[in-house]
Amino acid sequence: MTKSSRITLSVLATAILASMATLAVVHARHTPDDAPPTPALKVKDSQGTVVGSYRIPSDSQIAALPDGKEILYGKRLLNETARLLPTHVGDGLNCNSCHLAEGKLGAAGPYINAYNTYPTFKSRAGRKVSLTERINGCFQRSMNGVPLAPDSREMLAMKAYMKWLAQGVPTGDKVDVVNAGKIDTSLVPDPVRGKQIYGEQCASCHGDSGEGMKDQFGDYIFPPLWGNDSYNIGAGMARTYKAAAFIKYNMPLAAGRNKPLGQGGVLTDQDAVDVAQYFTHQPRPDFPGKINDWKNQKKPKDARY
Amino acid sequence: MQKLKVVLLASLALLAIVFLVAISTPYWFARKHDAVVDIHNPALIKKGAYLAYAADCAACHTAPHGRPFAGGLAMQTPMGTIYSTNITPDKKTGIGNYSYGDFERAVRRGVRPDGAALYPAMPYVSYAVVRDQDVKALYAYFMSSIKPVEQRNKPTTMPWPLSMRWPMALWQLMYARPRAFVPNKAQSPEVQRGAYLVEGLEHCGACHTPRGIAFQEKALHDTSSGVYLSGSALEGWYAKDLRNEGLGLAGWSDHEIVDFLATGRTDRTAAFGSMAEVISHSTQHLSDADLQAIAHYLKQLPARDGQSPHPILGVDTTTAKLRAGDYRASGATEYVEHCSECHRLDGRGAPRVFPALAGNSIVSAEDPSSLIQVTLAGGGMAKTPHDRMAFVMPGFKQLKNRDIADILNFIRNGWGNRGSQVKARDVARMRQLIDHEPLNYVPEAHND
Repeated sequence: MTKSSRITLSVLATAILASMATLAVVHARHTPDDAPPTPALKVKDSQGTVVGSYRIPSDSQIAALPDGKEILYGKRLLNETARLLPTHVGDGLNCNSCHLAEGKLGAAGPYINAYNTYPTFKSRAGRKVSLTERINGCFQRSMNGVPLAPDSREMLAMKAYMKWLAQGVPTGDKVDVVNAGKIDTSLVPDPVRGKQIYGEQCASCHGDSGEGMKDQFGDYIFPPLWGNDSYNIGAGMARTYKAAAFIKYNMPLAAGRNKPLGQGGVLTDQDAVDVAQYFTHQPRPDFPGKINDWKNQKKPKDARY
Repeated sequence: MQKLKVVLLASLALLAIVFLVAISTPYWFARKHDAVVDIHNPALIKKGAYLAYAADCAACHTAPHGRPFAGGLAMQTPMGTIYSTNITPDKKTGIGNYSYGDFERAVRRGVRPDGAALYPAMPYVSYAVVRDQDVKALYAYFMSSIKPVEQRNKPTTMPWPLSMRWPMALWQLMYARPRAFVPNKAQSPEVQRGAYLVEGLEHCGACHTPRGIAFQEKALHDTSSGVYLSGSALEGWYAKDLRNEGLGLAGWSDHEIVDFLATGRTDRTAAFGSMAEVISHSTQHLSDADLQAIAHYLKQLPARDGQSPHPILGVDTTTAKLRAGDYRASGATEYVEHCSECHRLDGRGAPRVFPALAGNSIVSAEDPSSLIQVTLAGGGMAKTPHDRMAFVMPGFKQLKNRDIADILNFIRNGWGNRGSQVKARDVARMRQLIDHEPLNYVPEAHND
């Protein structure tokens, strides 16, 4: 190689290195390249003192557990209740039609504190209610069906899922997560306005006549909000303000960037109260057991009977 | 020593010649062709307004929350960020002083009135085939119906020497030569119209045709290689294959293509990312006849050699397994936990609400960029008057790279889909890209 070609080569090499360095500088900015750990939630005792922390567990941990099969079965029953328990579900709903994200989502009736909270006093029943009774309450009201035997494989499996989800939080202590978001119950509902909001914000999925939307197998993708396949008037969701609190924080799904379902953040309190008044008061099955509700307790103002 | 001097002098002389050739191109390679245009002709303006939709000008020249056509949208390139420019007829900061010749040369040749070459982020390579009467209509529309906005253009963030524009003129000499639309006379007038829109104003190839080493589109119209519109990756998105073949449009009916372009979704799928923008700003405004023409044109693009002319979808064993509670496949448990609430156990989602994953070509595309990006960063549907709501997928950045890779491999190979493996490091890389996305620059405008 001649001297001049060596020089040319080294000039070229320097130029290439210099431009690579420029590119490297441009690309040098660095941020963490994996997700942070699941955030810890506080665990509080009955006095409100922080006594520990809790992280929502991932389902990928279930399979390896000694009772993994039972937990997984419980999770499936909660996800696909209508399909898997047709003799117990009288409408088209699943437990997780309302308890969104497998009961792991705050303000959407999470199961996170279920196992460590029950038995607990419920004013509708006027006495202490066990977790089994609470679950069967859903079967009779929200799923307009018949209760499971307390020692049935299905009931035990659903409770096993809730026990796993509680991650050993002791009875009486609570993970700092809300069951329902706040809603202004002093607002006067306007069902006419509610009907309009329903058409704009709900009907794309739940149908113009509240009929829901079914998949290829005839199972509901989106639950029917009124009619024979919907929950009966004994369900909490039949009450205007309870429904409004759910709707405001959770509906519509895929409405924005809220994690994990793009849920909520669209309606004001008034919007939610109006739309809840509209659809909860559409025709829906009666609940024969209603005669026993609030017998010795003050009825909430949105009670249906 | 003598030799070194000669080499250095020769190099300098060569560089000087190349430089002179580059800066002189506006005088011989891309000369200005002026013409008289009646910019107040209502019919011409109306036509220009329609063509401006077809050319998707707003997608880049209107920044999110910015004034119409005042520019300021950031575009990421490997060398730095480019910002779109103000194309309102403001005399100080926009194109208010452009003659028709200036306008035509910028649109079809990529040359500014001062002679500087535009970056090919402006799709002048495609616009080159737009007919004279259409460019005149666009000029009339921009000069007389767009409100002038005083808003200075933001310089690129490219470091010197990459920021020098004169080498772009050499690129144009190579890859942006003047050309006219060549209709295939064997085709129906409708398909010819589709070709004209796709190759020119709609500049579909800018994203959907693979690019070569110099960033040039490998084909600007359909050729025997079949590379035109065969899918390409850009800015961390994969723009899908649009040819009538396996993972292209073989599984799409003409009606579905029209529905997709008019509304941003079909019963099975939905546009997201940049395509949702294209639908919002451009295709939803096109006439049904033009959308049909585009669909017919795309559907006649033959499959490449070695590609199946039929949709690729194997037998679905996934649905039955998931419905039976068999979550043993890698990623199945995580899919059911995080995705199935919307996309469902049968991978079919919900019509016009949640896109299907089964048989969705972007899910099993050879290049998984779009799939990874939409999973991490989320995506939104185009809002059009056809559907009451435009749904959004939230991002799943909270999930670990490993879990996302497992989920994506599960859906890329579930329900009869067939896709290559996504690695955790591919997800990590996309996370970096998303974290460093330039902010859309929307400067304050000075007048109303």
